[in-house]
Amino acid sequence: MTRLAKHLVRLNVNGRDHALIIESNERLLDVLRDRLNLKGVKEGCGTGDCGTCSVIIDGRLVNSCLVLAVQARGKRIVTVEGIGTRENLHPVQKAFMKYNAAQCGFCTPAMVLAGKNLLDHNSTPSRDEIREAISGVLCRCTGYYKLIDAIQDAAEKLREDKL
Amino acid sequence: MTETALIQRLREAEGLVVVGKRIQRLDALGKVLGVPLYSSDIVPKDALRLKVVRSTVPHALIRRIDTDQAKGVPGVLAVLTAKDIPGINEAYALLPDRPLLAGTKVRSQGEAIAVVAAVDSETAEEAAGVVSVEYERLPAVFSPLEAMKSDAVRVHETGNVAKYLKVRKGNVEEGFRQAHVIIENTYKTQFQDPTALEPEVGMAWLERDGSITCVGSMQTPFYVQAGVAKVLGISTDKVRVIQATTGGAFGPKSDEMPIDTCAISALVAYRTGKPAILAYTREESIIAHTKRHPFVITLKTGAKNDGRLTASDALVVSDTGAYASLGPLVIIRACFHTTGPYVIPHVKTDAYCMYTNNTMAGSFRGFGSPQVHFAAESQMDELAKKLDMDPLDLRLKNILRSGLLTATSQLVDEACGLEECTKRAVDASNWHAKRLDLARDRGSFRRGIGIALMYHGNSLGPEGNDYAAVHIVVRPDAKVVVRTALTEYGTGAISGLAQIAAEALGLPIDVFELGRADTASCQETGPTVASRVIVIGGRATQIAAQKLKEKILAVGGDILGCDPSKLTIQNAVVRHSDDPEWTVSFQRIVEECFKRGISLTETGFYAAPKCEFDHENSQGTTYLQYTYGAVVAEVEVDMELGVVKPLKITAAYDVGKAINPLSLEGQIEGATIQGLGYGLMEQVTHTDGIVANPTLGDYYIPTSLDIPELQTIIVEFPGAVGPFGAKAMGEPPIDLPAAAIANAVAHATGSRVFSIPLTAEKVLFAMKERQR
Repeated sequence: MTRLAKHLVRLNVNGRDHALIIESNERLLDVLRDRLNLKGVKEGCGTGDCGTCSVIIDGRLVNSCLVLAVQARGKRIVTVEGIGTRENLHPVQKAFMKYNAAQCGFCTPAMVLAGKNLLDHNSTPSRDEIREAISGVLCRCTGYYKLIDAIQDAAEKLREDKL
Repeated sequence: MTETALIQRLREAEGLVVVGKRIQRLDALGKVLGVPLYSSDIVPKDALRLKVVRSTVPHALIRRIDTDQAKGVPGVLAVLTAKDIPGINEAYALLPDRPLLAGTKVRSQGEAIAVVAAVDSETAEEAAGVVSVEYERLPAVFSPLEAMKSDAVRVHETGNVAKYLKVRKGNVEEGFRQAHVIIENTYKTQFQDPTALEPEVGMAWLERDGSITCVGSMQTPFYVQAGVAKVLGISTDKVRVIQATTGGAFGPKSDEMPIDTCAISALVAYRTGKPAILAYTREESIIAHTKRHPFVITLKTGAKNDGRLTASDALVVSDTGAYASLGPLVIIRACFHTTGPYVIPHVKTDAYCMYTNNTMAGSFRGFGSPQVHFAAESQMDELAKKLDMDPLDLRLKNILRSGLLTATSQLVDEACGLEECTKRAVDASNWHAKRLDLARDRGSFRRGIGIALMYHGNSLGPEGNDYAAVHIVVRPDAKVVVRTALTEYGTGAISGLAQIAAEALGLPIDVFELGRADTASCQETGPTVASRVIVIGGRATQIAAQKLKEKILAVGGDILGCDPSKLTIQNAVVRHSDDPEWTVSFQRIVEECFKRGISLTETGFYAAPKCEFDHENSQGTTYLQYTYGAVVAEVEVDMELGVVKPLKITAAYDVGKAINPLSLEGQIEGATIQGLGYGLMEQVTHTDGIVANPTLGDYYIPTSLDIPELQTIIVEFPGAVGPFGAKAMGEPPIDLPAAAIANAVAHATGSRVFSIPLTAEKVLFAMKERQR
């Protein structure tokens, strides 16, 4: 096998800085899952079609299977592990529970991130804006209705909290 | 009303506390945090990564398999083929037709021939690329109709018919003599990929005592256990199978692929002594795992001038690909439901499950039902057109009602909610006004509205022994675990079992936890298929809970010094019926039980009564109860491009009893959109046996931008078998969306498309055909 160059890469993941030696061809997906043990990042296709590997990079929802880890150098990355905790759930996570928006759970981390990222940028999204925001992540269980309901509800909760 | 249904109604009148409530499923918190461990999340550190070498041709003799070069790749520990299998080289579900690793012949693309085990995935893939397989190509057959011909290429030595069965009711010639109108049409359906978001994965390792442990994504651990034991030539008690959290299943993970992933991993573990994991790529998944059977259905239907149906003559042919998988059972369900939910005095159906050299079809949500409902419901609209009747009126004239007979001459019991579902869907969708108004649409965008009705035989019926085992374990801390080898893969059904247990035990749902499906700690329980967890597993749960309740009340009676028959339990408090202040807590009783050495672990086992019918003509009770439903679809068609945009779906189902309406809506919504994809966009295309679109970039499933408005309506006419009258609801909502959409498109355009998916191309051609 061809030996590939190695790089020292600093990544900020879920608010923590990591310095990692990374080979040129390592995908961000694998670095997050295998080196940083962030197993909430899922691989459903590896070709950028299903979106279950989505993470937030500098405020944008991105398929981590299509990003080389070296490309994420110096960027701020958020995975589902950085969103909420058992004791302190994000409103999107609370709403997903309330609305039964997670069935098999495989797309759920990406959907939580998609919802959270939308609400970070738009506190009053319409249903169509929510549909657009989650359209890069496939879900085969829910038909998307409960996901949309939940994100809409979370938006309301977030607005109430700010008042 | 049967005795059991009566008892259930009486129970309901008592007032339910937990059942019927919109309760958060028990695994919701973990899922929103992203913490559940799916198979790929728990791979042992030193596990070998596997890559399967698969056939690239649809039909050939294998002349030579050269693994030498692959074995020489640094990092490769083993390259195994059929001759390395110590036990029996079989991985079939029903008919002994499929080897785990093909050694002498391949009958389709994607068959496993060799497995490469290496230190990492890249090395395994690289080495798999240099395994050379020399084929001697054989002529092949790709159409199930061609495969029926006497001079067709034989896919198997036994012939190309994997299963034939028939329905004979009345005298179909007489039925057509009575008819004033007769129509005949042929309908075609396609391969649909289930597309669980988690592709297939299995792993295995050797324990110190020489036994094997397998972990994987699956529906049915005991089938996997039997499959692995057979391949390794060891007894099943040497194989432990644990279901990891499973990212969607939809049928194929009950079928043969979990046997493949676990048995191939186990074979490597057995030969190398190291843990091994086989994770399919998406492409590999689409090619190799079972898909929905394509059908060719020819229907000849006769009716009187007033719309009363007199006769149905049907030829139903399915393409199971190169191997039967569960195809022989799928064709049974299809055959019995071919007429749709209507009363027809004279019925003749011949159904064939055919081998071809396409990739394998098998178990998939709906199990033959979506195909025949598409045909039957399209045919009803065509008949209505011929009779110049409203399609709703035609249906209402013929639908199954209490006291009437199905196509298999099964007497419909009192609890038939079909008419109620139809009325509710019609009212909610504003059918009558829209049917008239939308027909006036002119211009390049035209709307249409269509209706379709269904019935769906519940649980296994003629497909197998229908039993379940559920364990309920009360721990010393008074938490209660529901554990069963019936599996959770997204539906929430196991949480539903906890709800049923909570109701029976008088406990709040939040003391419950879900156990893991594991052959080492669960009794054999039959497969997790046929939407039977709530219906059959729910009954087993009630039995286990009742046993526990008796123990709890007995000890409660001791503590309170009274007769246990005077005690009730509600919200974890045992109370005397004469004096509401006379109480003892569930927790106190649990402590007492552990002090006295009374076991609070109980197993409920329930076996459904056998379906009694004449197997020659398929007449009698083919299923123990039915789910009924009606779907109205509204679409807009671009008349210049043929593009169909679904606008609204109104779906009403007679569910018997909604154990958890929130979960139930989830099943209806998910299945409706999977069914919409089936009707409008999804199709695995084979070109001379080779899958042309094995990626999610080329095989489209609906995204959040493709969904219409959806209104669900729950109707509750209790069934005879399920707990509290519950009926199967995991699969049935996928039966109708394609049919209702096809009828809406025909209403919008005036042109019928006789096959799904209703691609823009087909819709456009149908319109052009009509103009000509």
